[in-house]
Amino acid sequence: MGAPHHKKIKKTKKTTMGKWTRVAIAGIWLLLLLAAKNSSAQTPADRQQVQVERGHKQFQQACGFCHGADATGARGPDLVRSALVAHDVNGNLIGEVVHNGRPDKGMPPLPLAGEQIADIAAFLHARAKEALESSGVPADYPVERLLTGSADKGKAFFEGPGGCKNCHSTTGDLAGISKKYSSIELEAHMLYPDDPPVAAVLTLGSGEQISGTLSHMDDFTVSIRVGGKNGWYRSFPRNEVKVELQDPLKAHRELLPKLTSADMHNLFAFLNSLK
Amino acid sequence: MKHRLAILQKCVAAVVCFFAAFFFLAAAQAQGLDPAALLRPATDTWPTYNGDYSGRRFSTLDQINTTNVGSLTLAWAFRTRGNTVKSTPLEVNGILYFTSPDHVWAVDARYGRQVWHYFRKSEGDHIGNRGVGMHGDSLYFTTPDAHLVCLNAKDGTVRWDVELADSKLDYFATMAPIIVRDHVIVGVSGDVTDLPGFLESRDPETGAIQWRWNTEPKPGEPGSETWPKDNDALSHGGGMTWMTGTYDPQLNLLYWGTGNPNPVLAGEGRLGDNLYTCTIVALNPDTGKLAWYFQPSPHDVHDWDATQTPVLFDAEFHGKPRKLIAQASRNGFFFLLDRTNGEHFVTAPFIDTTWSSGIDSRGRPIAKPEATPSSDGALVEPGSDGSTNWMAPSFDPQTGLFYVKARRIFSVYYNTVTTKAEGWGGRDRILWANSTIRALDYHTGKVAWNHELGEGEDIAGILTTAGHLLFTADNSGNLLAMDPATGAILWHLNIGGEVVASPMTYQLDGRQYVLIPVQDIVYAFALPEK
Repeated sequence: MGAPHHKKIKKTKKTTMGKWTRVAIAGIWLLLLLAAKNSSAQTPADRQQVQVERGHKQFQQACGFCHGADATGARGPDLVRSALVAHDVNGNLIGEVVHNGRPDKGMPPLPLAGEQIADIAAFLHARAKEALESSGVPADYPVERLLTGSADKGKAFFEGPGGCKNCHSTTGDLAGISKKYSSIELEAHMLYPDDPPVAAVLTLGSGEQISGTLSHMDDFTVSIRVGGKNGWYRSFPRNEVKVELQDPLKAHRELLPKLTSADMHNLFAFLNSLK
Repeated sequence: MKHRLAILQKCVAAVVCFFAAFFFLAAAQAQGLDPAALLRPATDTWPTYNGDYSGRRFSTLDQINTTNVGSLTLAWAFRTRGNTVKSTPLEVNGILYFTSPDHVWAVDARYGRQVWHYFRKSEGDHIGNRGVGMHGDSLYFTTPDAHLVCLNAKDGTVRWDVELADSKLDYFATMAPIIVRDHVIVGVSGDVTDLPGFLESRDPETGAIQWRWNTEPKPGEPGSETWPKDNDALSHGGGMTWMTGTYDPQLNLLYWGTGNPNPVLAGEGRLGDNLYTCTIVALNPDTGKLAWYFQPSPHDVHDWDATQTPVLFDAEFHGKPRKLIAQASRNGFFFLLDRTNGEHFVTAPFIDTTWSSGIDSRGRPIAKPEATPSSDGALVEPGSDGSTNWMAPSFDPQTGLFYVKARRIFSVYYNTVTTKAEGWGGRDRILWANSTIRALDYHTGKVAWNHELGEGEDIAGILTTAGHLLFTADNSGNLLAMDPATGAILWHLNIGGEVVASPMTYQLDGRQYVLIPVQDIVYAFALPEK
């Protein structure tokens, strides 16, 4: 009941709406959109980022000479992995050191305001977090850093000793491959693609052959989807059937131990050029 | 008369009380663990992380053996309800003690019923916990916020709780403490930030520190020359002591493997061998003084720590009886040394690797420069998870073979650093992994037999027994009993979960049990009751 009624009202409105009314509504939408965009710049994370940037500038001016512009230490100690910074909450410990200095170690007191100290503390905590998170390759890792090889040599390897063209084609499955993945993902997929379905042929004791897609195999059982990955599931004891697999990644596994760094970087440069 | 009778009654009561108290105390003592018993563990106990001090994980029990293992059946199961057990249970006087981060359980070893459960909520890394150590009627438990907690084994109440390291700096603790006489030996974890590692001895009664051995020497001390002099790398060098070591009572030496140096993958700021990271050290358990060392991975830049159990056994080598120590290390090499003095005997790859160009005059693998993590990626086998890792190896004196879970892992290692390296400074991207179990001839490190366990990284540990059996699990959730001489599979069971712990065994009332935690369920297997 509700929906048709609503539709009816909408329809009535639309028919009575003048051209200028429509322009006005579009304008309001535009303003709303802009406002939404603006307010998204004010999320807590963004505000924190602004504070960290302010803190970085403050730090460079007031502390950078001794502690290094990035806080990793120069004449003074590294503050990124400092125990005091690790225990500090919103500048409570950092502020004390800044205000009182460390005369015994040659650090003078610095006349910074409370807000400035809070900004510097935010910057130092952000630097410590960065170090903590350095155990990962960023998803947006710059492709330039991976492009140390020669695309021409990569092409020669692809078509020659690499044996890549036995299964792949730059105008077929690899056409535009560099646009499908991020830099790191492209390199990883180039070396070892996601597991594709493995075709299996099982020969039973009776001589009957069943083919399909491998589902699971260990020392004791083998199971397949008969006919393909959407077929019916069937399982057998390993010692009662003969198993033949067509594993499309076999060539990749054989190549991995042989691949030199130069081969890998050349091949990456070549695949990255396939826009 | 009445008065006299009352006095007599009181005397009798006092005597009865005295004897009652005596028997009670004796009984209480009988439920605990005399550290002297650790020298020769009885077959009805499994009193340390590795079952004994040697780290062999070989049991002299043979009730379950090659002739009857086919009839192995489930005796009981115990659920921790969501907490994955990576620990090896202790079993002392009919009670099992096992853990997961923040949790300790005491469970009836015959029937699988809970005796008590201890929970301590804590901040910090909850990656795993290897179990408890025991002294008298006290248990020792390490926590994610790097504390050492002493519990009353009878009821799980806290006797004391001391801080080992500052968890705000991202130290944490996972290892199972080991007790040597009146020393509780305990180590720490944490390599996400650049922290110095150490091993400590604590007083079993109070938790007070007895000694501390620092992985990194102080400037000017022997070993400090393996670090740069012009920066602060030495004081941030890593080398965590996160696995339980072994001990030789005759030599009175404690053997410990240390963790990787920091920053983990970015080694440009710490040129040199970086002693004593990725090292097997022999320490005096009374003083913490270093007796000798051997470094399987000098200047590691792949997270290949040398914390894998340093296994002790006495056997012939080149025609002479020897006191040996062996490690199948995370870098893919097997090492055999004389444990009296650290003399090097064997270095041999136990699985394919691509990172080494040879072995130097001291028996250490030489790293190829092109295997160093780089900004454009270095393709290396093995990946940072290692050719093997913390899952228990085993040495079987009946076969003379050393058993290890060995994996092939291909990874691309990236050094992502653009300024000064801090923390990890990069990571490897794993491409493909495959697991095997291998029996190694300790004389040469050569593979006596190999059994494939499937794709992925198998992390189930190994147990061998005098019943000519080897217990472990494959990568498809199958528990396996194998012939340790040939690798033939004698029994298997799809247990319905990933095995991320190591099996152990004990015999009570004439019945042998084989225990294996499978995620949050502990299973006890035995022969059918008559």
